[in-house]
Amino acid sequence: MTHPAAVLRAPSRRRNLRRPWIGWLFIAPFGAIFLVFLVAPLAYAFYLSLFSKGLATGTIFAGAGNYIKAFTDPEFLSGIWFVIRFAVILIPIQMAVSLAAALVLDALTTRLSRFARLAIFVPYAIPAVVGTLMWGFLYSPTFGPLTDLFKVVNQSAPEILSSGNIFGGLLNIVVWQWAGYYMIIIYAALRGIDPSIYEAARIDGATPRQIALRIKVPMISSAMALILVFALIGTLQFFTEPQVLRPISNGSITSSFTPNIYAFDLAFRFSQFNYASTISFSLGIVVFIAVYIFLFASRKRRGGLS
Amino acid sequence: MKTKSLLAVVSAGALLVTLAGCSPDVSAGGSTDSAGGDAGSCSNTIVNKDAPQVSVWAWYPNINTVVDMFNKSHDDVQVCWSNAGQGADEYAKFSTAIAAGTGAPDVVMLEAEVVPGFILQDALVDLSEHGADDVKANFSAGAWKDVSSGDSVYAIPVDGGPMAMIYRADIFAKYGIAVPTTWDEYAAAGQQLKDAGGPFMGDFGSNVPAWFTALMTQNGQKAWDYESADPQNIGVELNDSGSKKVADYWADLVKKGIVDTQDQFNTDYIGGLANGSYATYVSAAWAPGYLTGAGASTEGDGADWKAAPLPQWDPANPVSVNWGGSTFAVTTQAKDKDLAATVAKELYASDEELQDGVDTQTIFPLNQKILASDAFADTPVKFFGGQTANKEVYIPAENAYEGYTYSPFTTYYYSELTKAMVSIIDGSKSGSDALDDLQGTMTDYAKAQGFTVK
Amino acid sequence: MTTITSPIKVRKKPNVAAHVFLVILIVYFLLPLWWLFVASTKDPQGLFTGTGGALWFDKNFNLLANIQELVTYKGGLYFRWLGNSALYSLLGGVGATVLAVLAGYGFAKFAFKGRDFSFAILLGSVMVPLTALVIPTFMLMSQLHLTNTIWAVILPSLLSPFGVYLMRVYAADAVPDELLDAARVDGSGELRTFFTVALPLMRPAVVTVLLLSVVGTWNNYFLPLAVLSDQNLYPVTVGLGGWQALAASNNGGGTSLYTLIVVGSLISIIPLVIAFLSLQKYWQGGLSLGALK
Repeated sequence: MTHPAAVLRAPSRRRNLRRPWIGWLFIAPFGAIFLVFLVAPLAYAFYLSLFSKGLATGTIFAGAGNYIKAFTDPEFLSGIWFVIRFAVILIPIQMAVSLAAALVLDALTTRLSRFARLAIFVPYAIPAVVGTLMWGFLYSPTFGPLTDLFKVVNQSAPEILSSGNIFGGLLNIVVWQWAGYYMIIIYAALRGIDPSIYEAARIDGATPRQIALRIKVPMISSAMALILVFALIGTLQFFTEPQVLRPISNGSITSSFTPNIYAFDLAFRFSQFNYASTISFSLGIVVFIAVYIFLFASRKRRGGLS
Repeated sequence: MKTKSLLAVVSAGALLVTLAGCSPDVSAGGSTDSAGGDAGSCSNTIVNKDAPQVSVWAWYPNINTVVDMFNKSHDDVQVCWSNAGQGADEYAKFSTAIAAGTGAPDVVMLEAEVVPGFILQDALVDLSEHGADDVKANFSAGAWKDVSSGDSVYAIPVDGGPMAMIYRADIFAKYGIAVPTTWDEYAAAGQQLKDAGGPFMGDFGSNVPAWFTALMTQNGQKAWDYESADPQNIGVELNDSGSKKVADYWADLVKKGIVDTQDQFNTDYIGGLANGSYATYVSAAWAPGYLTGAGASTEGDGADWKAAPLPQWDPANPVSVNWGGSTFAVTTQAKDKDLAATVAKELYASDEELQDGVDTQTIFPLNQKILASDAFADTPVKFFGGQTANKEVYIPAENAYEGYTYSPFTTYYYSELTKAMVSIIDGSKSGSDALDDLQGTMTDYAKAQGFTVK
Repeated sequence: MTTITSPIKVRKKPNVAAHVFLVILIVYFLLPLWWLFVASTKDPQGLFTGTGGALWFDKNFNLLANIQELVTYKGGLYFRWLGNSALYSLLGGVGATVLAVLAGYGFAKFAFKGRDFSFAILLGSVMVPLTALVIPTFMLMSQLHLTNTIWAVILPSLLSPFGVYLMRVYAADAVPDELLDAARVDGSGELRTFFTVALPLMRPAVVTVLLLSVVGTWNNYFLPLAVLSDQNLYPVTVGLGGWQALAASNNGGGTSLYTLIVVGSLISIIPLVIAFLSLQKYWQGGLSLGALK
């Protein structure tokens, strides 16, 4: 498979502009679903977020009031703080694992490496619900494998789901679930590089490690930027894994653990639909700002490099 | 290359089609011929197709049997049942349907603790206007109070959880411990077990706020002063001296390592119950059924479980409390409210239906038709090695139960109480301090939600 | 699987460190699956108090009995869920792919007013948390009388903004404008040009988007949980989640669900794993193109 990356950058200019509606026709089916099942519900959710209703009061127009409340709500802010910390620690680890795996797999063509490529990717095909359930069992201090391991040194196994360790426990699950997916994207990008570049470097006396770090990594930086954005959005919206782990977390995953869990609980457990919508949109705002900052920073950096 | 990708698509499709083909049609009655309106299609077979249908959401494990029995014995109405999820999942769906103004069933299974919250959302019908009094005599005063507010009745009880203590007689015998009847004896027995290197006496799990609420109620906690007829006002009293005594008591047991702090109902806890890590389980009448189902068997591993009454604070004035249990309520979206009320009153209420619940250890019935029968009282419970636990422990506990007044924001309260229990477990707060803080949090919450706090 | 030396590819020096690294990764990523397989062979007691520890077999090998119970429990409800999952992900996945291919081609090959703006909106939409959508979507479905039908699951899963993005990037590269112009000069209509010229060139990306959409729908949990109330319509994720809630509740009744949950989890992951492994050649290339832009 060939990837003429140069062609990609050339903007496709349609010379034939007489019938611009044809473009719309191709987009229309998707656009219709998009409007009905995304834009309309979002508009309604935004409308809801502008009103406020207590359990014992009627609905009143609050304008930005809910948003002011959200951004001064310690529960929401502590959730935001958690996902930001989580993103700052998770994403480098995840990228390091997937980049290292992709570089090694790109350099090897043994049967073991082919098997490894599949093994690393398999968790992506497993539903988050099932994956989290498995790790929940594995984390068990009474009958998980850690118990046997720690028995050897006469210690009792650590409570991975306790409030002190839950951060690491979740980190591990997310890395396990997603590193393979990111690894495959990076690996595919690496395969797309013209091998003659390495040949030239090798003739100049570059070691394989130098080739990997000085040539390969810079050449796939745009792929890296893309998956970083995905990882950032996904992490700030962190929901499924802690939600599934919650019943076995001994209380360390609270109803405001992450902003998304907070929104879910407000809506479905505490019957506060309006404020729940506000929290969701406030999270959307935070995600937007974070992605914007990231793109701005990375563009500046890449611009400076080239 | 192109042919290969095409092949790939085709084979992926074939794989999935094959899978789809495997699905057997389990609902012989046809799950699609819905007459239940927006609430969806039936998971059961409609016997009398001419009769009007009432849609029901419920999650009892044996509900399909019960619904079949009901439909066979009723010409005038048929139940169209579906399982919308267990507890919180169902409530989430029900809340959404109420907010949306459509999509709720006619009759919904609810735990008593969430009933006032749904009343406040205008989700439930007052059944006193639809003949609820016809069945009032079937229930203990406490069970009826749990679903009433003033003269109004918002649900019909089905099953309950009068509390008791189950214990491992073999462990007690091994360490020479007498069955505790007071909480002081319970703590002393636990200390004795600990000193002798035995297992935990019991467990204080942060995920059972309903359990802790019941234990504080046992020592006089009033908690809520609230009536659905007067939904603007609420009294909050969570940190009285009796409650504090209970909280400090458990904090002390936790601190001394006499009880474990494992969350309950999860696999670790069940594993611990099965392998003898706990000498007692302060639990409710559903415990034997639950533990049997969870695989904590008594056969083969020498475990000898027995039931005893809940330990008391003041043995001269014993107090009976309840943990768990569920009801049927009629929703405001029901098309024919009288008909729906009939179902709420009569579903899981015939002898035959209740007996199935008892035989399959699914429920502890509140209906006196069963509760007062000799057959039920004299049933030897296999889990307790043949002990007639109903007669000795659970029936007296249920009949002495006086009822409880829930707040309209139980889920929020439980979420905050869980936080308080976590802080007791990790030692960051004393029991008394945790309750003082909880009192403040809940008062603030009630005010923020627009209530006038009495 | 782990024999390394192959006589055809003689490397100058076997890279020991790299292979050790790979073995560690393999163990890490497959360990939970190994656990799942081992746990599936245990009976309820073995699961909690077994003799072999968590990562080895118990004295009783109970796998067939567990599967047997799964087949008969509630009239084979589990396999109905599996079939539902297959149906939803096939319809949702194919539908999402069709929409994404059309839209991606439209964005890539036609210049029209509002194109960049609508594409930006499309990409920006992934930043909104799904929880914001659940209630309005439920209300919408209620209005359309679609709650508790398969369409309530399938219609929203037709949305794949990432799929559109991939297809746009791929089409821009893989379908030369000159070829389209030539077809038009020959008198081919726009639709015919799309089907005969563009679509064949876009095939690898189509496979990728199809697989990603199928996975997305298969793994979907909260949307079906919210819009379905009939357990005969549940996909396998919601069904297993429900069993877990049931097993963990005080209302479980007489059956041990944990063995069913474990063996059900094992069976539920097999179809997608097979699909991915057997089709890996085709989707890997498509992913790289999305990344190169």
